[in-house]
Amino acid sequence: MESAALPVTAPALRVTMWRQLYAIVKKDIVSELRTKEMLLSMFLFAVLAMVIFHFAFSVRAQTDLTYFTGGMLWVTFVFAALLGLNRSFVHEKDEGCLDGLLLCPVDRVTIFLAKMTGNLVFLLVIQALAVPVFTLFFVKASYLGDLPAFLAVLVLADLGVCSVGTLLATISMNTKARDLMLPIVFLPLIIPVLIAATSGTTAIFAQTASLGSLGPKLLFLAAYDGIFVLAAYGTYDFAIGE
Amino acid sequence: MAEIEVTGVTKVFGRRDVLRDVSFAVEQGGFLSIMGPNGAGKTTTLRILATLLAPTSGGVRIAGLDPSDDPMPVRRTIGFISHQPLLYLDLTAYENLRFYAEMYGVPERERRISDLLQRVELSHRRYDQVRTFSKGMLQRLAIARALLHQPRVLLLDEPYSGLDPHAVDILDGLLAEIRAEHTFVMVSHSIAKTLELSDQVLVMDGGRVVFRQSGTIDEAHFAAVYREHVSEGVAV
Repeated sequence: MESAALPVTAPALRVTMWRQLYAIVKKDIVSELRTKEMLLSMFLFAVLAMVIFHFAFSVRAQTDLTYFTGGMLWVTFVFAALLGLNRSFVHEKDEGCLDGLLLCPVDRVTIFLAKMTGNLVFLLVIQALAVPVFTLFFVKASYLGDLPAFLAVLVLADLGVCSVGTLLATISMNTKARDLMLPIVFLPLIIPVLIAATSGTTAIFAQTASLGSLGPKLLFLAAYDGIFVLAAYGTYDFAIGE
Repeated sequence: MAEIEVTGVTKVFGRRDVLRDVSFAVEQGGFLSIMGPNGAGKTTTLRILATLLAPTSGGVRIAGLDPSDDPMPVRRTIGFISHQPLLYLDLTAYENLRFYAEMYGVPERERRISDLLQRVELSHRRYDQVRTFSKGMLQRLAIARALLHQPRVLLLDEPYSGLDPHAVDILDGLLAEIRAEHTFVMVSHSIAKTLELSDQVLVMDGGRVVFRQSGTIDEAHFAAVYREHVSEGVAV
């Protein structure tokens, strides 16, 4: 047996919440980049949904789908996100890793914020790939002038999807029918985000958006995000516990 | 003062009493083993000590700290070795240890990780994905993970389960090396291993402590006492 003396006097351990959050996000991203299970399934779903929408709605040549675009885009993203959320705790459940994580001196809210950030990063990656494809398929007029507004809707709605989704994925992780449970509780709760994001995105694609019309929607999305991040802050200890 | 104190702990899941008025203490440097048939409440006791579960009633103190007040300092003092490795299969051995070192804020991470990988004889596999490891190698890496932050208290949940003889030797060597300066609580089904390592043994059945003994324990006598108190047989 090789010999290497192990110092056994415990050192003063110092770690910040941000360092732990970064460690968890980095670990999740590295794991995902090794398997690409989540990213690949989310991207394939998004592309297939667009192809299906293209054929389903193109009953006649020159059909104007402008006023359906926001709905099509967000239905695609919500279901793609659901695929990712269902997988977001798979690595933790393997080989008891969740216990390993819970044994660490880490605040449970840090785990939530890290998991939410990871889910947000994966969703944004999928959107960065899917939005150009969607634009090519369905959007007739350029919306480059409204790009900042589009990105604001996208990020705020994504935050809502990921905050609610991460909280519910954690709760459903310990249930017997977790794959069924998550959509059943997630989809009703995400309807307000879906309505605001759909109308905002449609207005941008139809070039009828203005700061006055988008402002209340953005505020609503920001308020929704805030409420669910706060809800997770207050309940995550119980959600991830026994 | 005892390093670990468990006083009148009960744990109820739904309508089922999993632990009933469990009390014990382990002095600093002591080695307590908990034995008993499946469903006796051994692992639940260990998970309460590890702060993974909260007791329904009763109290726990580890290194003078109460986990119900603030579990963070208690978690820093605990190392947990389970029959599951608690390792991420898609990460390499190094990445796993690096992750846990970052989570615990371990100083001089690189040196500590190298020392431990060398000690568990996995230096040559440090950049291999853990998915490719055998059960014995996984358990050796799990030992390195548990010792990474130099805990005062080690909780061992059937640590010898599924180990090959080489891995058993390494675990024995590591435990012998750190034995004097740590306090141990081990859950095991093996009388031989329990009596070899422990200076105090508890036998649990039906969520209660049904037998306890300290000091030198004769194996044949203990096996007879064990069979008297619990219905299931054990590996000797």
